[in-house]
Amino acid sequence: MPEIKLHLGSQVAIRKPVLDQVLGHLEKAGYQTIGPCIKDAALVYAPIGGLQDLPQGLISEQSGGSYRIKPSNNARYFDITPGAQSWKQFLFPPRSESFKLMKENGHWLEEGLSEDLPRYAFIGVRPCELAAIAVQDKVFIRSDFTDPIYKHRRERIFILALDCLHPGDTCFCASMGTGPTVESGFDIKLTELDDVFLLEVGSPAGLEAMQDLSVEAVDSRWLQASAAGRKAAANSMGRVLSDVASIPDLLINNLEHPRWKEIAARCLSCTNCTQVCPTCFCWDVEDATSLGGKNTMRTRVWDSCFNPAYSAQAGGNIRPNTASRYRQWLTHKMSTWRQQFGVLGCVGCGRCITWCPAGIDITEEIEAIRVDAKE
Amino acid sequence: MSDILLAPAKATREDVLIAPLWAEIVEITPEAEGVSTFWLAFKDKALAASYRFAPGQFNMVYLPGYGEAAISISSHPAKPERIGHTIRFVGNVTNAISRLRPGDTLGLRGPFGMPWPIADIKGRDVIIAAGGIGLAPLRPAIYHIIENRADYGKVTIIYGARAPGDLLYPREYDAWRKKGLEVLVTVDRGDENWAGQVGVVPILFYNLRVRPENSVILTCGPEIMMRFVVFESLARRVSQEHIFVSLERNMKCGQGFCGHCQIGPYFICKEGPVFHFGQLAPFFNVENF
Amino acid sequence: MGDKPVLLDIFHAIPWFQQLSEDHLGLLADFSHLVEIPQGKDLFKEGDKEDFLYVVVNGRIAIEIFFPGRGRISIYTAEPMDVVGWSSVTPVVRQRTASARAVLDSRLIAMDAQALRRLCEGDCALGCVVMRRIANVVAQRLLVTRLQLLDLFANPGEQKIHA
Repeated sequence: MPEIKLHLGSQVAIRKPVLDQVLGHLEKAGYQTIGPCIKDAALVYAPIGGLQDLPQGLISEQSGGSYRIKPSNNARYFDITPGAQSWKQFLFPPRSESFKLMKENGHWLEEGLSEDLPRYAFIGVRPCELAAIAVQDKVFIRSDFTDPIYKHRRERIFILALDCLHPGDTCFCASMGTGPTVESGFDIKLTELDDVFLLEVGSPAGLEAMQDLSVEAVDSRWLQASAAGRKAAANSMGRVLSDVASIPDLLINNLEHPRWKEIAARCLSCTNCTQVCPTCFCWDVEDATSLGGKNTMRTRVWDSCFNPAYSAQAGGNIRPNTASRYRQWLTHKMSTWRQQFGVLGCVGCGRCITWCPAGIDITEEIEAIRVDAKE
Repeated sequence: MSDILLAPAKATREDVLIAPLWAEIVEITPEAEGVSTFWLAFKDKALAASYRFAPGQFNMVYLPGYGEAAISISSHPAKPERIGHTIRFVGNVTNAISRLRPGDTLGLRGPFGMPWPIADIKGRDVIIAAGGIGLAPLRPAIYHIIENRADYGKVTIIYGARAPGDLLYPREYDAWRKKGLEVLVTVDRGDENWAGQVGVVPILFYNLRVRPENSVILTCGPEIMMRFVVFESLARRVSQEHIFVSLERNMKCGQGFCGHCQIGPYFICKEGPVFHFGQLAPFFNVENF
Repeated sequence: MGDKPVLLDIFHAIPWFQQLSEDHLGLLADFSHLVEIPQGKDLFKEGDKEDFLYVVVNGRIAIEIFFPGRGRISIYTAEPMDVVGWSSVTPVVRQRTASARAVLDSRLIAMDAQALRRLCEGDCALGCVVMRRIANVVAQRLLVTRLQLLDLFANPGEQKIHA
């Protein structure tokens, strides 16, 4: 077989076990490879060593308030759609140290933080997740201020993205324009077919990780299968959200629609949706002091607009009930976010539907608000 | 919004939620029951010399172990070596601050927020409507106007508080009057020694002759009071873009990241706290928004 | 009364009396007189059974209620053009529910309320105008009172009406 020389944009095929070599290259380059795997009967993103750690032969059945992992009838590795976790937890950790102070001779001195310099390689990033990372890039890295923790981690990650050929029951990335195929923003793109992985080189780092692999040229059968798979995926979304362009105005013009109260009768204000959502970014600060008063630390922790204390201040709570808090979340995600960051906050991953204990489906709720809506 | 009063030197860097810079309390002025002005000076002399703020902006004031509070700057913008913060003691952090003495240390991050548009309203009549602690973020604007009196038309301050003892900065009113500002004061309830007006701030509009095409309203105080000030201003045909309010929400970062202070599309710490009413009109009267 | 020309001049300058005809103004002037109250003196006290409707021309009149142990609390001040004692025009209340004291040297028009009531009953058109004016006064007072009731400046801990 003639040597295939790789360059940016090259697309090649590899037999599946060869992926382990890619992971090996990444580990040698200092990355911690994180990918989907099953832990405690749940699908999580955790460190993986190779193919053996991936959820081969598994799919998920999802609906409002329900997630079940089931065996599929094939041997593919990446069919299963994401669970509660997203890549957000690695770039925007649920808890992180902001600063530590120590009192010395009456002065407060800043203590060095524990050096936390991870280099993550995300293995198996879906198009919706890639879009979510792009959304959070706009939130955390700005021209006026930047979040140093996000920026530091973001600059160091390796992304192996994959086309999502088997969308889930609560997915609607096609409606949001964020999937089901990956266009750009990856180091390596992977498309899984029955016999092979198709790999596309997206960056110099991707090229590095694909050195010395035993690759094959992509033949027409595989191209056709890939194209057919992508087309089928776009038409097999579990949910549809129509006329997305009209949603921002629809919501902001109907802040007193009766539907908000109706949703509130079902919503538990439990904050699940904001935790599983890959773009939600609100956080709180905790200030803690040692008993002797000589050390104090500030920690940043995830927060949620559904928390009752979120909008509490001296003088009362601005959003004292579930209806107002749910309305805040949805109008932010699907309306005012665009004015703030130039894009909508929702990427159509469907996690909020699956992980809502009350099974509230935002695609359904938005359609309900269209009924009797004000212009 | 004009940038000329926003200076490059700030007590914060481009990173979010970094440790604050340290300042010493040089003086504490009791203003009313439960309210005092803390005068802070940065310990770093270079920072003390270069720090600037624009009227209406705020600092995040940090007390180690307790946390931070967003406090409006209430002192003269041309004299930033000592920065005045008029603080009302209402929560954990501010109550702990109330126990501090001159010589103690506080952390500062800032200044943050969009200021009063005083550079943009030259030549106009200005009505400053304040209630309670709301006079604090307006005082720097008043100082600026006095310093540049000829740049503005008729300037009237209408101010109210709960009772005569709750009025902020009463010893300055005559000085302001001498500089050509009309100062009308009212209280919710008076006592035997009070010879001023008793009523509410929006009613003071009835004492004024407002030229709608040339007037600008700057208002800060309890939200209900501001709502009625806006109402009286609109009733006198002042346009929405000429009515400026200063809003307040639960703030954690002060830099537009943590999400807490959002109202609609705006982060109050970033696009506010000063807004013109046209920005808020679509949802100002939506309950619990 | 020798006051009449002075009264008519003042009537013409007060928006309150606009829309009334010269004849009506003349009739009102017949049962009105000017009152000068020096600073610190009461115009009337709680419980007084006097029957006048006042309009402030200059100065400031504080409406006060006596609080045993706290002294007089001022709950409203009437400024120039404001009305004091509007309840005289209604048929119900016959004694003052609050005191009125001049906190600045003040000058007021005092109208015999019984004569005014009789005039309004006899001339319904005039009665309608007067009642409309009184309704406006009461509406504005009610708004002020409501905002005072909300105690907007109270400390959050002691706010009686919670957000």
